[in-house]
Amino acid sequence: MPEVEHRGRIDVSPVAIASIVDDAVRSCYGVVGTSSKDLAAGIATALSSERKRGVEVRIEDGQIGIDVYVIIEYGTRIAAVARSVMNVVKFSVERTLGVPVAEVNVHVDGLRISNID
Amino acid sequence: MTAEENVSRQAAADARYVVDGPGLKRLVKAALGWLQHHQAAINALNVYPVPDGDTGTNMVLTMRSAWSEIADSPERNVGRVAKQMAHGALMGARGNSGVILSQIWRGFARSLDEKSVMRADDLADACREASDTAYKGVVKPVEGTILTVAKAVADAAENAAERTDDLVSILERVVFAAHEAVVLTPSLLAVLEEAGVVDAGGQGLFIILEGMLRHMRGEPVEEDVRFSEAVHLTSESMAHGDLGYEYDVQFLVVGDNLEVDAVRERITQMGDCPLVVGDPGTIKVHVHVSDPGEPISYGASLGSLQDVVVEDMQAQYQDFIVDRHLSSNGRVSTTSNQDLGEIGVVAVVPGDGLARVFQSLGVGAVVRGGQTMNPSTKDLLEAVENLETDEVVLLPNNGNVIMAAEQTRELTDKALRVVPTRFVPEGIAALLSLNYQADLETNVEAMKRAIDEVETVEITVATRTATINGVEVSEGGVIGLHNGELAASGDEIAGVTRQVLRDVGSEDAEIITLYYGEEVSEEEAQALADLLQEDWPEQEFEVIPGGQPHYQYIVSIE
Repeated sequence: MPEVEHRGRIDVSPVAIASIVDDAVRSCYGVVGTSSKDLAAGIATALSSERKRGVEVRIEDGQIGIDVYVIIEYGTRIAAVARSVMNVVKFSVERTLGVPVAEVNVHVDGLRISNID
Repeated sequence: MTAEENVSRQAAADARYVVDGPGLKRLVKAALGWLQHHQAAINALNVYPVPDGDTGTNMVLTMRSAWSEIADSPERNVGRVAKQMAHGALMGARGNSGVILSQIWRGFARSLDEKSVMRADDLADACREASDTAYKGVVKPVEGTILTVAKAVADAAENAAERTDDLVSILERVVFAAHEAVVLTPSLLAVLEEAGVVDAGGQGLFIILEGMLRHMRGEPVEEDVRFSEAVHLTSESMAHGDLGYEYDVQFLVVGDNLEVDAVRERITQMGDCPLVVGDPGTIKVHVHVSDPGEPISYGASLGSLQDVVVEDMQAQYQDFIVDRHLSSNGRVSTTSNQDLGEIGVVAVVPGDGLARVFQSLGVGAVVRGGQTMNPSTKDLLEAVENLETDEVVLLPNNGNVIMAAEQTRELTDKALRVVPTRFVPEGIAALLSLNYQADLETNVEAMKRAIDEVETVEITVATRTATINGVEVSEGGVIGLHNGELAASGDEIAGVTRQVLRDVGSEDAEIITLYYGEEVSEEEAQALADLLQEDWPEQEFEVIPGGQPHYQYIVSIE
């Protein structure tokens, strides 16, 4: 993510952006985990210490695109939680980096049942 | 005492100790009413997790969905009513705060299970389960939010239920504890502290509980304009903003034998949102001031300064607003109409619907702006520069934007003329008189004349009690502005609108257009137009979605 300044350039790598995203996602209400997108079988893994899992950051033509793969608490309104993830991720990255995020795609990879009704 | 009186007295006494299904319904209805009453105030508090000012609205929509699920239910069993209501909250959950609220009700309902009535102990258990359930819904619970308030509520309910079976007295303690917890939220969540507000979601939960308590005490929940302290806290912090503490100043002082308390005292006198922490060796200072020199020179007199940061808060806010619009809507939406002629038009508009109106009338670009989100000169310049035409007319459509618009003239090489439209209807009138065959100067003169041919009425709800032009307006009261001047105030929109339209002399007008705001539905707007049509049968009424914030209606009378 190069940004031309008077005295030089600032580059922010996708990995750095991913950690901002990761932090934002984990504080999102309704998200109880993220899942690795590499698991083609779709096996959802609860949040582990291995950060950046379930977060994909792309930079194309100076535009930031983000995909997050989340596990949501069963019994919440999934659409509302996903929308809130979208908003929070976008806001956190834009506030921290000061550059616009073109898109945030939220993939709900699973539900976790921690509350039994 | 007759047998009948005896029964009703007995029922009243019971209501203090036992809540059945219909009783819970009444509590929920009261909570919803009280929450709606405070909706705008809660919206104004919303800075976390995303400062989009919709917490109150989301909580109201969620509670409304909960209420509609039980409104017609004949169920007498309190547990089943709770379950239906929780289901309604879940299905209608809107936004982050709505989702959390739905989880709170979910836990509440699960605890009541199939109980036919709720007594003191059941209430305490349900509050605990509500809090626990809410906490389970997130990996990293953030304190200083509605979660913290839910936990404080559970603690208070358990505590109180050990001492009494009187539900009114328990609820009193619960509401008190909720309020205490809300007031403490800024000390737990830095972003609230910086913004000088309490947590919006927490405040919403407090209001819900307060609405229930008011119902149990027989106090009104909808018309009463008594505000809670925490809401005042917002108004005050907003007032501070008005006072003009424009700079956010932060620095570290490194020295010997620094006296933290003395420094805090001095800094506190200088401005707003002071934060002074540290030890005799190093002190961190944060304060909002109008003159950043004052705290900095004071700091320098104490020791050596480090990490000095001075930020223009207005600019920060502008950037934020610009970023939001840049990302969500595109800062400048260029339409295909811009090649219509030699003259391009840039219009500043406050809402999506209004943007479409301007675009359909052929403007080259719209820039988002409005009452609380004035675009910067830079935004305007960019829009002007991006147009393909060399002659550009700029319509600020807001008194506060005219100056920025004028400044833009000096920054561009294009022939830019500002037609000083103060309101959206003036901008539309000006645009309608644009003649692409005529030259720039002729058009500017025609557009300026057109401004005088339209009257603008704006209808809004006061966000706090104030006296404007000698008229007292209470919070939640409706005010009507005629060309920006306060013209009428009252309790409801239709009455105020009618009064202002009458004062304006609408009987001489031909077309009256209602641009309804983002909080108003099409049905509501149409209903208002129908009502007004009765008073002004000769006039043609038009109802158009404006999508503007803050103003329920912008009315154009021409």
